[in-house]
Amino acid sequence: MNSQQPLLEGRDVYKFFGGLAAVNGVDFAVYPGEIVGLIGPNGSGKTTLFDCLTRLQTIDKGQIFFKGQEITRVRPYQVARMGLARTFQVIRVYRKMTVLENMLISRQWRGEGLLNMLRPSHPDTERRARHLIQFLQLEHLTDELAGHLSGGQRRLLEIGMALMPDPDILLLDEATSGINPTLIEIIKDRIRTLNREQGKTFLLIEHNINFIADLCSRVYVLNFGEKLAEGTPEEIMENEAVIEAYFGA
Amino acid sequence: MSTLTQAARPSLLRRWGGLLLWLLLLALLAIYPYTGVTGSALFTATQVFVLVTLASNWNLIGGMTGYVDFGHAVFFGLGAYSMGILVTRVPLAFSPELSFWQALPLAGLVAALFALIIGLPTLRLKGPYFSIAMLGTFVAMREIIRILRPITGGGTGLDLPPVLNRVNEYYFMLGLMGLVVALIWWIRRSEFGYTLIAIREDEIGAEMRGINTTMHKIIAFMIAAFFTGIVGAFWAWQNTYIDPDVVFIEQRTVEMVMMSMLGGLGTVWGPPLGAVVIYFLQDVVWGNLLNFHLMALGILLILLVLFLPEGILGSLGDPSSTSLGRLLRRAGRRQE
Repeated sequence: MNSQQPLLEGRDVYKFFGGLAAVNGVDFAVYPGEIVGLIGPNGSGKTTLFDCLTRLQTIDKGQIFFKGQEITRVRPYQVARMGLARTFQVIRVYRKMTVLENMLISRQWRGEGLLNMLRPSHPDTERRARHLIQFLQLEHLTDELAGHLSGGQRRLLEIGMALMPDPDILLLDEATSGINPTLIEIIKDRIRTLNREQGKTFLLIEHNINFIADLCSRVYVLNFGEKLAEGTPEEIMENEAVIEAYFGA
Repeated sequence: MSTLTQAARPSLLRRWGGLLLWLLLLALLAIYPYTGVTGSALFTATQVFVLVTLASNWNLIGGMTGYVDFGHAVFFGLGAYSMGILVTRVPLAFSPELSFWQALPLAGLVAALFALIIGLPTLRLKGPYFSIAMLGTFVAMREIIRILRPITGGGTGLDLPPVLNRVNEYYFMLGLMGLVVALIWWIRRSEFGYTLIAIREDEIGAEMRGINTTMHKIIAFMIAAFFTGIVGAFWAWQNTYIDPDVVFIEQRTVEMVMMSMLGGLGTVWGPPLGAVVIYFLQDVVWGNLLNFHLMALGILLILLVLFLPEGILGSLGDPSSTSLGRLLRRAGRRQE
């Protein structure tokens, strides 16, 4: 077990929708520098848990900690400013802005005076945006409207937007969904590079088991809102309860 | 395209061209009173400036931020009544009496303060809920003004000291319009402007990327309310008489919406263009369809939504996104 303080931690987290427990007493922890997978059948509560962690949803019971600080009642924009970034199952980019503008608007917001906000972006912000666009192999689309990009390109752009504020942890919700194998390899390679070279921490929701197995050191499995299993990808793939949850056998 | 950045902007002319043209137009308009025009022509021009300013203000919250305010005329009314009360009622209690210039910024501040108070709860509402809440606010404020007879004069209204200086009125509104449109131009190319558009496009996404959406919306709302209040105060001063039925009229908001939509929601130059077109269109409709002018304007609004949802300038930017644009493209293909 890791002796470090968790970067992101949930203690006994509950989220109800009416009588349905979408997240049912889940405990979990992600440590600095890890790539952790979060898998489970459809409707198992993965995205709801993501929403709770990023404060998009309020939790009904339990506690959430980020960098040792409780964020259970903190507003989403404050969580983002603390260094927690995410992408979404349904891609969220600003379709009427260019790729570059999308990146610039996702910059690090540390607190803004109105006079500062009335200026154009700082050159350093733009340099970082262009660097990330290149890193994600989107440079030929820099001035293209985001609405004109393919689904895969928008996924890459969304990851770039999440990277813009230089977060400590990235929560990627089905980053490979609906994407061709070549782009999946690019995303995998970029995640690995960011993890190794910059020590970025990742929490990934995925249905692509190979993707999880290739990248993650630990995996959590949710089923009906409860934590079904936890372990290395190899342990998870051999776990009887997980196999039954996925295949009903 | 990109104006958010320092280096990504393609050329100096493209960066500053719009503002330079605007300043040139203002300079030309500044000499208009010296071309031998009548007071009536100056009055007409002043009314157009009022509409341009109102439409540009509404566009900041309705077009750029995406919060369609169906009660924005409440700020106009508050500005007008603040002016009326400050110059007619306050001097009864305090002397010396307040001048137009002293009352003017106070009227804007009253409107902005009210925007802060009402914006905190209503800007949490999304889409039509916000629109209806603001419409309700507008109607409620009209009734409050009517009830507060000792202060507002109730249904009888307030008489302001007559001024009747068409040239001064013209220059005041020209300056205010110039300032407001230039401010909107500046905001549109600033980070603040882009955060407003990000809120319009995807508010949850903006919040998740570290933008304090509540604060940005409130600031935009207060700026729009401040200048709308100033216009209301000017209107009261120019009209020399106000009562709830001439100040708090729904049609004023409808006009702001229509002008912004016709020109192009969220664009800088669209609302001014829409205001000019609508003003002269209204003139034609009034002249030819006196009994049906409101119906004609309603039909125009429906046609706008159906065939030009992104307005004139919005369609020029991306013709394929509008019904009219698609029709034009299809016609072009047929000719090929």
